[in-house]
Amino acid sequence: MTTVVELPTPTVVAPRSRRRALRRVLRNPLAAAGLVVVVVVLAAAALADLLAPYPFDLVDFDATLQPPSLAHWFGTDELGRDQLSRVLHGLRVSMIVGVMSVVLSLVVGVPLGLLAGFYRLLDPVISRLTDTLLAFPFLVLAVGLAAILGPSLTTATVALAVGLLPLIIRVARSETLRLREMDFVAAAVADGADDLELLRRHILPNAVNALLVQATVAVPLAIIGEAILSFLGLGVRPPIPSLGVMIASAQPLFRDGPWLAVIPGVAIVVLTLALNLFGDGLRDALDPRELRR
Amino acid sequence: MRPGGEPLLAVRDLTVRFRTEDGPVLAVDGASFEVAGQETVALVGESGCGKSVTAMALTGLLPPNATVSGEVRFGGDNLQQRSRSALRAIRGREIAYVFQEPMTSLNPVLTIGRQIAEVLHRHQRLRGAPARRRAVELLDLVGIPLPARRLREYPHQLSGGMRQRAMIAMALACTPKLLVADEPTTALDVTVQAGILDVLRTLSAETGTAVLLITHDLGVVADIADRVVVMYAGRVIEEADVDDLFARPGHPYTRGLLDAVPNPARRSDGSLREIPGRVPVLASSPDACTFADRCSRADSTCRVHRPELVPGPAGHPVRCWHPLAPVVAGERR
Repeated sequence: MTTVVELPTPTVVAPRSRRRALRRVLRNPLAAAGLVVVVVVLAAAALADLLAPYPFDLVDFDATLQPPSLAHWFGTDELGRDQLSRVLHGLRVSMIVGVMSVVLSLVVGVPLGLLAGFYRLLDPVISRLTDTLLAFPFLVLAVGLAAILGPSLTTATVALAVGLLPLIIRVARSETLRLREMDFVAAAVADGADDLELLRRHILPNAVNALLVQATVAVPLAIIGEAILSFLGLGVRPPIPSLGVMIASAQPLFRDGPWLAVIPGVAIVVLTLALNLFGDGLRDALDPRELRR
Repeated sequence: MRPGGEPLLAVRDLTVRFRTEDGPVLAVDGASFEVAGQETVALVGESGCGKSVTAMALTGLLPPNATVSGEVRFGGDNLQQRSRSALRAIRGREIAYVFQEPMTSLNPVLTIGRQIAEVLHRHQRLRGAPARRRAVELLDLVGIPLPARRLREYPHQLSGGMRQRAMIAMALACTPKLLVADEPTTALDVTVQAGILDVLRTLSAETGTAVLLITHDLGVVADIADRVVVMYAGRVIEEADVDDLFARPGHPYTRGLLDAVPNPARRSDGSLREIPGRVPVLASSPDACTFADRCSRADSTCRVHRPELVPGPAGHPVRCWHPLAPVVAGERR
């Protein structure tokens, strides 16, 4: 949770070049593969109800603990539930929690970062808050929140959002510090712009690239975080399948049905790897030093 | 200094100090000058003489570590006593700025049209089609071809000269009474520079905007200024109509500046004359002439007594104990 990504401090990238950036991402084979996987997973998660061959909670005692077969591609668990259907729904939960927690931390973190970077007086307050969050082990925080709010999807999302907050605040703050000194900001001040206008029209739009890259890195972190929380019983509760829940409930059955733990595990790895590869590709593509090549 | 009524801008005894890590710095030392309506005044001096700081101080654009005293009267109002929000309302609407770096002074993620529209909306609550019409009009005014298409373009699609024209268009959006142009042509190459100067020149004629031009380039001054205020080490050292200044400089420093301009017509020995030394950075206002250390005419008086800005032998105000007599200016060494 405390990984801070080394950003390439792009000077300024115009929007026209954002479309070109996407083309450059696709020219990088690893990033393109990552994007394809992410899109496929997103589609699968969104269409889980249609794609899943069985309802995720359909119990079938005639087919318990079956290894992968044509009828059940990913096998079945001890209650005979179809693992493919459960993985599809689990991916949906993972994507929802992953994306929502990042969105939540962006909504809270970006304004805080902008304020910290723009107003020298607020900076120490917000920066110390960030440091405190960073110093606090994320799991302890989540356990505390779960104890107060009760374990649920919402709790997991909020806990993850709080855990990701420092990542977002730091990037927003450093971008603001950099952009605040730019000539076009000084020119806008001389044109009579007030602080709100400077932040909204001149600083935030220019910080979008850096924030976009940071968000693509934060989503896989949140997905892994959700799996950990659910594994520990602090996130999504059974019978709703989440990838973490599935791995947790497969634990006692590992000898008889290893596929029960391995398949959701592989799903997490593939999804986070794909997101990371895409994020890396995006970062390189938005880096103005790359633009000149 | 001009006959008839109160000037548009009257700066009286403007002093700017900065608190820095290396101690206090006196950037502007009691500068006084005036700009009349529709007049183009050049504020001239080399880097570090306080000319840009003076311009920024007019509307309170200096960073918080600056202390400003003195009086800035604009249209009869003392801007030094105005609140922050009142100054904000004046910036861009009554006093507009154009800066040196056209390459970086435009927001790279907004189209030109959008940026002009921002200014129009901010000060005149103009939106939509009327704002668009006005933006096209403005780009046309500053000589940008195909203005309607340029509106949809981003700054990186425009050349440096076009960007500076766009900056001027933005500055003119609300028909300000005073345009402060801080080294507007320094970052541009000479042919583009000529175009920008053309725009500035026709502008005051067409819109009645007064221009305060800040520059170190005497070629630019000769081209478009009506009157020149020469600054050195934070002080105004000479002030004159442009022809008068070029023909009869009173201050040895002004003379030095003129001699340092490359002039093919008088290249007798092929070399340029330079002024030895550099502008001092002062912590406080010395009781001496700040140019004394670089001046060949300096004597003991110059080092212990502060000269005042008083009419010199050529008739215009000079801050010098030993101003040059008009005849001297005509001679060639």
